[in-house]
Amino acid sequence: MSVYRHEYRAYTGKLTPLWTRVRVVARYALGEAWSSRITVGLFTFSMLPVVVYLIGIFLANNALARVLVMQGNGVLEVNSGYFLRVLSTQCWFAVVMTAWIAPRLVSFDLADNALPILLSHPISRFRFVLGKFIALFLCLSLVTWVPGLLLFAYQGYSCSKPWMGANLRIVTGLLLGALLWIGFLSMLGLALSSWVKWRTVAIGVIFAAVFVPAGVGGIITAILRTRWGYLLNLPVMMTQLWQRFLGAPPTMRDDMRLPTSAIALVLATVCLICVAMLNARIRAREVVRG
Amino acid sequence: MTAMNDRIVFEDVSKFYGEVLGVNRVSLSIPSGVTTLVGPNGSGKTTLMNLMTGLVQPSSGQISVFGLPPGDADRFFRQVGYSTQFDSFPRRLTGWEFLLDSLLLHGMSEGEAFRLAGEALERVRLGDAGSRRIETYSKGMRQKIRLAQAIAHHPRVLVLDEPLNGLDPMARAESLALFQELSRQGMHLVISSHILDEVDRISDRVILITGGYIVAEGAIHQVRREVRDKPMQVLIRCDKPELLASRMFSANHCAEARLHVDGKGVFLRTGDIDEFYRLLNEIAVEGLVKIDTVAPADDDTHAIYQYLIGSEGIPS
Amino acid sequence: MNTEAVSARVKSILVQPWGFWWLQMRRLVRIELRRNLFSRKAAWIYFLAFIPTAVILIHVLHDTHPASGLSLDTNVLAGIVQFYYIRLGVFFGCLGIFSRLVRGEMIERSLHFYLLSPVRREILLLAKFAAGSISALLLFGSAVIAAFAFLYAAYGTAGLDYVFHGPGLGQLGAYLLIVTLGCLGYGAVFLLLSMMFRNPMPAAMLVMGWEAINPVLPSLLQKISVASYLRHLMPITVPGEGVFALLTVETEPVAGWVACLGLLTLIVIVLAYSCFRIRRLEIRYTTE
Repeated sequence: MSVYRHEYRAYTGKLTPLWTRVRVVARYALGEAWSSRITVGLFTFSMLPVVVYLIGIFLANNALARVLVMQGNGVLEVNSGYFLRVLSTQCWFAVVMTAWIAPRLVSFDLADNALPILLSHPISRFRFVLGKFIALFLCLSLVTWVPGLLLFAYQGYSCSKPWMGANLRIVTGLLLGALLWIGFLSMLGLALSSWVKWRTVAIGVIFAAVFVPAGVGGIITAILRTRWGYLLNLPVMMTQLWQRFLGAPPTMRDDMRLPTSAIALVLATVCLICVAMLNARIRAREVVRG
Repeated sequence: MTAMNDRIVFEDVSKFYGEVLGVNRVSLSIPSGVTTLVGPNGSGKTTLMNLMTGLVQPSSGQISVFGLPPGDADRFFRQVGYSTQFDSFPRRLTGWEFLLDSLLLHGMSEGEAFRLAGEALERVRLGDAGSRRIETYSKGMRQKIRLAQAIAHHPRVLVLDEPLNGLDPMARAESLALFQELSRQGMHLVISSHILDEVDRISDRVILITGGYIVAEGAIHQVRREVRDKPMQVLIRCDKPELLASRMFSANHCAEARLHVDGKGVFLRTGDIDEFYRLLNEIAVEGLVKIDTVAPADDDTHAIYQYLIGSEGIPS
Repeated sequence: MNTEAVSARVKSILVQPWGFWWLQMRRLVRIELRRNLFSRKAAWIYFLAFIPTAVILIHVLHDTHPASGLSLDTNVLAGIVQFYYIRLGVFFGCLGIFSRLVRGEMIERSLHFYLLSPVRREILLLAKFAAGSISALLLFGSAVIAAFAFLYAAYGTAGLDYVFHGPGLGQLGAYLLIVTLGCLGYGAVFLLLSMMFRNPMPAAMLVMGWEAINPVLPSLLQKISVASYLRHLMPITVPGEGVFALLTVETEPVAGWVACLGLLTLIVIVLAYSCFRIRRLEIRYTTE
């Protein structure tokens, strides 16, 4: 009779709460995103307009500097229009950042067939995607609402009049507009990256997903003589939405302006499609060859 | 044709991938027959094959096959077929289309390409699967279609990187028989494989490589003889193995003796093989021991690999 | 160089196997066309090319077409070519087609099959470029022709009159020339980028940015832009409005033939450099 010594014991020590596991995915995703020098370069580049806007605020609030630099030419006013420009500029940098970072977070896992291994750990598909989403959202925050709020605070500090209290709509609009945009971009970026196996291709697809429908929307508007074509045009839609959030004057003709509800419906629909795409793609399964 | 124009020649070839060494100062002259490349993972075998076929370019030195450099693609690849280790194919092609596309680029007429594609598929025993998409092939079938593509245009040099990977024992035997047949017909075959026992049977010579350096090269028996610091092992089948071993020990020509499991033979290890055989002859003539067979027991690629490279690197 | 040297040079060129190379080129083009046009992955390029045609078809079937709308629709068609096809459709279409030719095959690990065939690498590159150009031209050219035909057919006699007795055919010719040069120009640039960079997309997006900021650059730098050459060939100039203004290239006026020649020179230089690069191309899939 054989005698076996069963010495193996399954792990029975303490475990971290289930909800905190998302942080592990997010932490690794952030590490992956910032391991690229191009990410650092893009971030640095996206801060250049912030510096320009900062100088603008300084000049607007400093009469002597304004006289020296601008020699009395032009009026520099920091108002909702000024912060709309800040928001627009930074939000377009967010598109570039999304196109670069989102495929790094997802495509590597798909291309190297790492997903089944990742999902064999005690983490759900939802938490896996949430971790990636949080990482991308945090990266985009750094180039959008964070510098926006800093500029707002600097304007409040520099202005001799009690400015902040009187312009709370700007800061709430800026925050809301940026959060909405980067949330939308994060969903779009992750969904498209999950459907394109190769990172190189995913970058192009994300850009195309933003700009090509805009062109198609422009064609529909011009050919069919209807404003509804702009519902495919993210730049136009978001500009109109941001204008309303910040209380900035509209730049488009009245008959070309879109109802907020229609814009919200389009954004919500795209987000739902993105969720469906992620749900269909992120599964612990074998990658079928070919 | 001069002797050098009938060989694969590496002249002081080095390849660096940035700061990483691929192969270093390799000089080789490979004649026809089967040459096996042996070495552990990352030793430089695939680099050597890629250099030979121009997929990577040497940092220094020159390579030629029958006097042709790989850069002269027109003429070079009519002589050379290479079955790589890359397990990927152009998308949505059937085995037939894959072979036909390849043959048509050789400049053959459509009819001739059709005939050669059929012949290649038959040779690797993939005939029926030719009309199926390669995506649906098993690993072994993909290995076979790569081989078919490499031999379809009747090259004079066949370079095969791990050609037995993914094949079942029957298919391995068929492939080895095919290699042997091609070698008999005068083809140059350069094979890297980690299934040493099987490749060993058809191999005429071996190139041992480790860390990017060639450590030995030549006919297997010749290389084994060159490894003088490792006593050679010989299996002698006889009726009185114990007596034979004691005679050998007494004459000081034996370093180690081990009885065969069936008790009808003995493995003897000697540092001086010539003296060993001389004494064995004397014993046979004396008639005290009836000797049936004498055969080297460690005169194969596996043993040479163990002696020269060691057991820490699993050959691949 | 003396006469003997020249004649020796000419002889050495003539003895090259030109017939064999031409045969290989034709066969390579055939293989590549099959891959470019008849795969599921090409579906999005069909979409890019034919979506304006589809919108115009809806317009034709759905809307009424009083003769007064002809000039407006003519301007809209010019706008579609100028703003959509050149800046988006052809740009992204060529990005997809031409960066697949070499880099795409590196990513899919199938380029070595070509490099192990008895084809000179220059022939391979030129054949791939030719196949990419033919694919792009077939798609975008036929889309432009279809859009043009639908648009003017809807106006009946007035439309036919505009096409055959007015400036219509000339405009169609100009649009086709623009699309052709656009495909060739962007194609050459993206083919080169895909050979120079493991990930050509950031560089391609820089090209997009470069094309966008080109109008504000000095005159010399404006000449290094595909869209700026093409705009000079437009039969109708459509001023940018709203978001289109961002995509408008305002360059110094250049004669049509100078624009064509300039762009063709750019293409030849880029292709020559690509040939130089492909000779040194190594298969190292592990770094992809």
